[in-house]
Amino acid sequence: MKLKELRTLSLVLCVLAIALAMGVAAYAQAPAAATPAAPPPSPVTAELAATAAKAPTTADLAKGDPGGTLTGTISDVPVGDPKVGLTVGDVANQVGQNKIAANFIWTLVTGYLVMFMQAGFAMVEAGLCRVKNANHTYMMNFMVYACGLFSYWLIGFAIQQGGSAGNGNLGGLQSLSVEHTTTILGKTWGLFGGTGFFLSGHTYDVGVMVLFLFEMVFMDTALTIVTGACAERWKFLAFCVSSSLMGALTYPLYANWAWGGGWLSQLGTNNQLGKGYCDFAGSGVVHAVGGITALAVTMIIGPRIGKFNKDGSSNAIIGHDVSAVLIGCFILAFGWFGFNPGSTLGASANGNLRIGTIAVDTMLAGCTGTFGALLYMWIKTGKCDYSMSGNGLLAGLVAITAPSGFVSTVGACIIGLVAGVLVCLSCAFIEKVMKVDDPVGAVSVHGTCGLWGVLSVGLLADGTSNYGGAWNGVTGSVTGLFYGDPSQLVAQLVGISTLIGFVFTFSFLLNLALEFFVGQRVSVETEIAGLDIPEMGQLGYPEFVVKPEPDVLLQAEKQYAVA
Amino acid sequence: MAANKSQGSYYTLFLVAATVLCAGIFFWSGGMGKLLFVVGAVGVIASLFGMLSIKSLEGKSALKSSPLAMKLMGAGCSALGWIITLVGMHLTPSVVGRGILALIGIGVSLFGIIVILPAAFNKNAVWKS
Repeated sequence: MKLKELRTLSLVLCVLAIALAMGVAAYAQAPAAATPAAPPPSPVTAELAATAAKAPTTADLAKGDPGGTLTGTISDVPVGDPKVGLTVGDVANQVGQNKIAANFIWTLVTGYLVMFMQAGFAMVEAGLCRVKNANHTYMMNFMVYACGLFSYWLIGFAIQQGGSAGNGNLGGLQSLSVEHTTTILGKTWGLFGGTGFFLSGHTYDVGVMVLFLFEMVFMDTALTIVTGACAERWKFLAFCVSSSLMGALTYPLYANWAWGGGWLSQLGTNNQLGKGYCDFAGSGVVHAVGGITALAVTMIIGPRIGKFNKDGSSNAIIGHDVSAVLIGCFILAFGWFGFNPGSTLGASANGNLRIGTIAVDTMLAGCTGTFGALLYMWIKTGKCDYSMSGNGLLAGLVAITAPSGFVSTVGACIIGLVAGVLVCLSCAFIEKVMKVDDPVGAVSVHGTCGLWGVLSVGLLADGTSNYGGAWNGVTGSVTGLFYGDPSQLVAQLVGISTLIGFVFTFSFLLNLALEFFVGQRVSVETEIAGLDIPEMGQLGYPEFVVKPEPDVLLQAEKQYAVA
Repeated sequence: MAANKSQGSYYTLFLVAATVLCAGIFFWSGGMGKLLFVVGAVGVIASLFGMLSIKSLEGKSALKSSPLAMKLMGAGCSALGWIITLVGMHLTPSVVGRGILALIGIGVSLFGIIVILPAAFNKNAVWKS
């Protein structure tokens, strides 16, 4: 009885539902008599509709797409209003998003490459130090990442990029809109940024995050340069505090002036000096800042025990691992493909397709840098010096970093070759004349060759690059002295003067204050024993039998121990 | 005495205080901003003095005191070169003139770094004795 009633009820409901559906369909299909006739579709809209009609269906895709011809079609373009269907506006929006997505991916991936350079630095520096300090040197290279990153997130990024809105490659970055300025003789000059603390507030933005990651790994590269020059005697606590302050203040200030809309970048608009100070990927901002700070700190902490004799002559203190040094150099050269080409901050639009040239320039300068150093040492000493060859490679790469976006391949070869020879001369000068002990040659590789890189922009920029038609707000392409613009060279000289006049002095005074409060150098006992056990509590290679030091170093250590 | 617990404690204080100080700058316009700034600054200074208090426990390093005045003179000379360059940008509109002044500035800075400072640090260098 009940079953029969249920069946009847179901039947009635089904009939009603079908009738209702047919009625709705009929209503939907009925011409809207009251509304005016829709305008005929434009040819573009009609073409979009036709293309959409030809797009593979779900059934087609369900069969698989081994050739890749069905995946990624008009069906994948998001439709803004389903009632209207796909419009030209939808397609244009997707094109814009694709451009930014390509640039985001490019910038992030190249940033990851630069981050990997930390491993290269760690291997080079530790390999060039004695085995008794291996753990300490590796740990400094490891911890500099954390020290720098944290202080850069707190304040460094805000100082550097807080006023750098307007980068079209990453979507405008309009939230980075505060640059503190000063006015001199009626002209406004940028001093430091003011937004981006903790990446909070309006800077909680997708584009800002991409920029932060990329700029942060650059900053960390600068910091890790100092650890090499001060290796084997830098107190770990002093290193931690010094690195934190450098990531918070020293590096961001100069980076703001050059890249964040600061006064160096305004030399073109305010003083008609070329396109302002130009440093494409950071020979000055990253490497010279790191190298010059390294010089300041190295002077303060003094030479290692046994490095210099009473008469001022120096002893070679040999590193413990050739393989680590040379593999580290290769890792750095690999990472440099992120450093230089990535500095376009994009692969799409605004002349960014020059990334191929930038990458090739980078390779070539590294190649000629290696030749320059190797041949110099071979001719001078009769031997093929591994450490100077490695430093030659790095010197070429450091020098091409600033001009990589503006020079031809011939220019890159010249820049690298000069850097390769220069690094050998500089190492000798710093050790023999200045009596500064730099175990890995960091001051010469990054400081001296960084300055040469900055200068070379003013000489060899060929005026063919075109990053959106202007650089630093000045229309045209960056052109050096040899290609007709002497004013660009002057802008570069101002940058160099700022590096050695301001950055050195600032770093020197900051670290002199730390010497007073913290003490930069380990005790004599710690230094003689090696820093691994006293500072880290663990040997770098606990199962190795450590060979005694050469006689000359042993004697020096005995003298210090007695004293 | 090398690395020790006190060092770790004072560095922790330094990091926490620096975070508070930066939060103070971030919230500067609000009521809490200035308070956070002051608390952070006091914390940073306290951590530095804490490090100073344990500095003598760590033993003697292979450094002899060198003349501070000479060091400051070297740093001052380096800064002076930069100022010469900056002033030069406003003294003359000539590209050549600005270039020459920038070169003079660089030379003065280099004199401070390459000549005065090494002389200061090497005057009483341990390796000489």
